[in-house]
Amino acid sequence: MTAAEGTTGPSSSILHLEEMVLNMGPQHPSTHGVLRLVLHLDGEMLISVDPVLGYLHRGFEKLAENRTYLQYLAMISRLDYLSGIFMEWSYVRSVEALMEIEVPKRAEYIRVIIGELNRIISHHVAIGDFMLNLGAVTPFFWVFRDREDVMDLLEMVTGQRMMYNFMRVGGVRWDLPEDFEAGCRKFLKEFPGRIDEYEQLITENEIFLSRTWGMGIIKPYEALDYGISGPNARASGVDWDLRREVGYSVYPEFDFDVPLGQHGDCFDRYKCRIEEMRQSVRIVEQALDSLCGGPVNLKLPPMLRPPAGDLYRAVESPRGEFGVYLVSKGGLRPWRLKLRDPTFSAISMIPKLTPGYKIADVVAIAGSLDLLMGGVDR
Amino acid sequence: MKLTAPEVLKYAGDLLGKLARDLTISDWHVVIEVAAEDLPEVALRLRDDKRLSCKYLSTIIGVDYEEWMETLYMLRSQDHSVPVRLRVKLDREQPEVPSVAYIWSGANWHEREAYDFFGIQFQGHPDLRHILTREDMDSFPLRKDARPHRKRRRSGQVTGMDEAVRLPGEPDRRERS
Repeated sequence: MTAAEGTTGPSSSILHLEEMVLNMGPQHPSTHGVLRLVLHLDGEMLISVDPVLGYLHRGFEKLAENRTYLQYLAMISRLDYLSGIFMEWSYVRSVEALMEIEVPKRAEYIRVIIGELNRIISHHVAIGDFMLNLGAVTPFFWVFRDREDVMDLLEMVTGQRMMYNFMRVGGVRWDLPEDFEAGCRKFLKEFPGRIDEYEQLITENEIFLSRTWGMGIIKPYEALDYGISGPNARASGVDWDLRREVGYSVYPEFDFDVPLGQHGDCFDRYKCRIEEMRQSVRIVEQALDSLCGGPVNLKLPPMLRPPAGDLYRAVESPRGEFGVYLVSKGGLRPWRLKLRDPTFSAISMIPKLTPGYKIADVVAIAGSLDLLMGGVDR
Repeated sequence: MKLTAPEVLKYAGDLLGKLARDLTISDWHVVIEVAAEDLPEVALRLRDDKRLSCKYLSTIIGVDYEEWMETLYMLRSQDHSVPVRLRVKLDREQPEVPSVAYIWSGANWHEREAYDFFGIQFQGHPDLRHILTREDMDSFPLRKDARPHRKRRRSGQVTGMDEAVRLPGEPDRRERS
């Protein structure tokens, strides 16, 4: 069955002319990796879209079954390479819960600090790429200039710019270096002003508004129906943030808002990310203030052997609910590891969102959803 | 309205009656075991109930336990923060379960993924085809008895992969190795 039969979008014209099939991707620059969209077009109007996945499939779930718990930690941040900390976080949380390990308090604060910094740079890329999709090149350089500052901070702590491999079962790898706090506070002081700069450049831009205002609207019930989470769902007004609802790690101690959108269009999704960056700054500031002394990890043997059992642990990654379902049979290796990626659900919404729009708007809608194929294809 | 896990458990027990084979709390998730044929009915009741209102399907998970297979449905509601997990045990030789793609639209792709990796047949699914692996993939890689590609090639079994990679007129590389 072709996609054209499966979806019923609003028909673009009464005079239905010859249908054209156009491949967008897998190497198209606005598909954020290797997503292939098979577009069925009537002139420039879209009749239906069929996303084709799997170009980046690396078998992460199968590889987990052949590695020890610690070995797998080294690869999991390759999954969603822009927010690797959250992949590691959700994985170590599931192993810790299975082994009933209590993580030292200082380690939890460090996790939150690193995680929120990672959220900032992930949103940097989301906004920069989105603007690039719309044809605006300047914001891309502005966000990447600031992203470099955060990357320096993360490199100072973890030794890596992207694939951190920083979380450990029972804590984190190292303590923060001495000059980290001063550098981080300097950044946090400057950064809100830079967010204002982005807003001056983007938010009130006439072209940007006309390209995004009222485009690709996701209704709240649709967001739930399709399993959309994170900023994409919050832009539609779905008031759900795992950091607040589940309150994992030390998040309940911090005071932060969950930004919500009203219309669920491309503009709200952009705006939600901007606001989340401001909230991340608040969280990191509070975490630095309440950072306590003590050990940063538990000295655990390299061969972990969690007891038999199964559980699911999720974290609020920059793209939404990233979850790990772990089944152990008491051996050295996981019996089954399932990775729940938020972007997978977001892409499944594209065939519903895009029919009736023009090709350029498909690029805008896909960009606003902040797609990243590394996590989708696994 | 905030509900605790025991409250959700009790309420789900009243709502489902005999449809629920087993109700437990595992790690603050309410786990409900149902028979495959009862799944659509249970799913509809959980989704449309005013108090439980499990409108959000997080993911569908296939697990191969060697003796049997399982599909898990991770549900959540916006109104209370207790996750509900549906567990369906399947026959390993003939894994079949009714599709819930018409109940939660997001289930469509999650079911395709479970089919892709485990060969679970979702009856009534609108478009059940491979999603992450190749279109002509002939084995289900996450099953415990799936063998790595290289070993199968050594044993002389032809796979769809070998045929598709070869261009017309290109020599068969399998003969050399």
